[in-house]
Amino acid sequence: MSEPVARGEGWERLDARVIWVDLVRMLLSLVPMAVTTLLFGGAVDGPVLWPAAIVGVLGVVGAVVDVLRWVKTRYRVTEERLEVRTGLLVRSHRSIRRDRIRSVDTTARLRHRLAGLRVVAIRAGDRSTVGESAPLRLDAVTTATATRLQDELPTGARAPEAEPEPGGEVVLATFRWRWVPYNAFTVWAFLTAAGLGWGAYWFGSSVGIDLAGVVVGLVDWGALGTAWTVVVAVLATGAVGVVGVGAAFVAEQWGFRLVRADGPRGTVLRTSHGLFRTRRVDRDEARLRGVELRQPLLWRWSTATETSVVSTGLGTSWLTTSASTVLPKAPMADARRVAGAVLRDDRPLGTPLRAHPRAALRRRLGWAVLVSGVLTGGLWWFAPGGWWLVGAGTLPVALGLAVVAYRSLGHALVGRHLVTSRGLNRATVVLRRGAVVGVTFRQSVLQRRLGLVTVRTTTAAGAGVYAAPDLLVADGVALADATVPGLLTPYRGLSPTVGSAA
Amino acid sequence: MGEVLVAPRHRVERRAMGWWALRTAAATAVVGGAVGVGYLLITPWRAVLGPVLLVVLGAGLLHLVVAPPWRYAVHRWEVTGEAVYVRSGWFVREWRIAPLSRVQTVDTVRGPVQQALGLATVTVTTASAAGPIALVGLDHRTAEVVARELAEITGATPGDAT
Repeated sequence: MSEPVARGEGWERLDARVIWVDLVRMLLSLVPMAVTTLLFGGAVDGPVLWPAAIVGVLGVVGAVVDVLRWVKTRYRVTEERLEVRTGLLVRSHRSIRRDRIRSVDTTARLRHRLAGLRVVAIRAGDRSTVGESAPLRLDAVTTATATRLQDELPTGARAPEAEPEPGGEVVLATFRWRWVPYNAFTVWAFLTAAGLGWGAYWFGSSVGIDLAGVVVGLVDWGALGTAWTVVVAVLATGAVGVVGVGAAFVAEQWGFRLVRADGPRGTVLRTSHGLFRTRRVDRDEARLRGVELRQPLLWRWSTATETSVVSTGLGTSWLTTSASTVLPKAPMADARRVAGAVLRDDRPLGTPLRAHPRAALRRRLGWAVLVSGVLTGGLWWFAPGGWWLVGAGTLPVALGLAVVAYRSLGHALVGRHLVTSRGLNRATVVLRRGAVVGVTFRQSVLQRRLGLVTVRTTTAAGAGVYAAPDLLVADGVALADATVPGLLTPYRGLSPTVGSAA
Repeated sequence: MGEVLVAPRHRVERRAMGWWALRTAAATAVVGGAVGVGYLLITPWRAVLGPVLLVVLGAGLLHLVVAPPWRYAVHRWEVTGEAVYVRSGWFVREWRIAPLSRVQTVDTVRGPVQQALGLATVTVTTASAAGPIALVGLDHRTAEVVARELAEITGATPGDAT
């Protein structure tokens, strides 16, 4: 139907190997059913067959849908735009202006890699008008096409059949084995262990092995006592989980490289990594507005730090932060070095930050007392017996957290950059001053009594708002005025204006 | 704050207090109505829903009495050739300043209640995800003039303002 339109105007299909991949996927998904039928002969009963049947049906349906998608998808790259038509029931025609393209990622699952395919995701951020738009995906094209698209798409001019030159590359960071423990010890380890255990148990029971029985028979639990049983169980689960998470981390970040590479339109920050599923993300350096370092509270002692860039057009929700992350959790020294190299300026993160006034500590301590007080009161009123003691016990913890939060606070203006730091999971943001598109001051009645104000700089990049909480009023206004020179000057006054309610 | 940062020049219309009060009244009526219906129909829950209903109505009434005049005292706005400057809020006050060179869009919004009161809101968006700057409680004629002038100034600025 759409064939005549699709021909002769540069419209291209996705690679035909997608179909072969789908065929193989379909056959593979039927394997469990075949195996169970063969293993158990004619005596196939529900509990055994159902999982295999579900896997099979899902696999077949998925493969067929994917083939239809292949049939119906066309894309083309013109001088100005990238266009993609797709959809069987719901036709869609999306086009992105090439100068609006902000990042081009390629990923590949194992099946894609075996077939020499790559999935290309193209993002164009324009959230001021239509909200964060979903990336345009080409699933899948050959590796060569993907590389070509990645090198050419953001340039605005298509080089005919010219192989992109490797160009100059500066390596900023490569995979280090010592990063593994920083990323393996997370609370997710227990969840991973639970998942692994459940998967193993399910698989075991479907082939007739009672894994729970094996574990129970491993040790004489009765002799160990309840307390030790719990300790052993937690430690064992944790160990399994840590190994699992660590292995997943190594597989994901295998061969990690962060390089600054020359693209035709300027330099890009490129990360590439992955053992089974490879991923390469190019971030246009012209869209870079700063960097962010995050130090999780529980791992502060180990200086574990995750580094990401503050850039326009890279997603901001927690689901899509991975495109902005340029370095996984690593020791602070590594993170600082990489962040300095990304900024091309070591000073912002090398300069000690100015601490915030003591009143900011008082505000946090006040909140800590209030929260644990309300908790204690609530428990005393509603819960029986000595439960309120638990509420009272939270007070030292809350006070400790208040001090930690206060110690995170800091700010500095260093050359072209504004540096702010805050939060229990300390986030240090280095933002280019020229990227600030507005200033907001916030002050609650209680902050006003303490003489404090929160300065929020708004920007088009990253999270959109970066705050320096609880500065003295005069310092806050001075900081904002120095960050965006001239913006506040007409409004700065030393005497209250007539009729001012402030 | 007043000693360090001059307040924006213009107050909002007095009618805006009526708009804020009506909004609170409507929200209280909806929430209170829902709880009230629950209180009447689900007899076993009355012990819980009774106090909840009282709290909802009390908070709504307090908000209705306290917030509008407080807001009226705080809310101010100013547009110059260089920047939009707005002060808003009540318990938590907010001063927002955006240079006109960074403004992306300018809209005028009038809800049904605002139309009845002859009010309008001008929203000014920048490229930031922090949400638009809203000039609320303007007379609708003033709002029109402000929006038109803003659009003219920002339309003359080249670049994508990020």
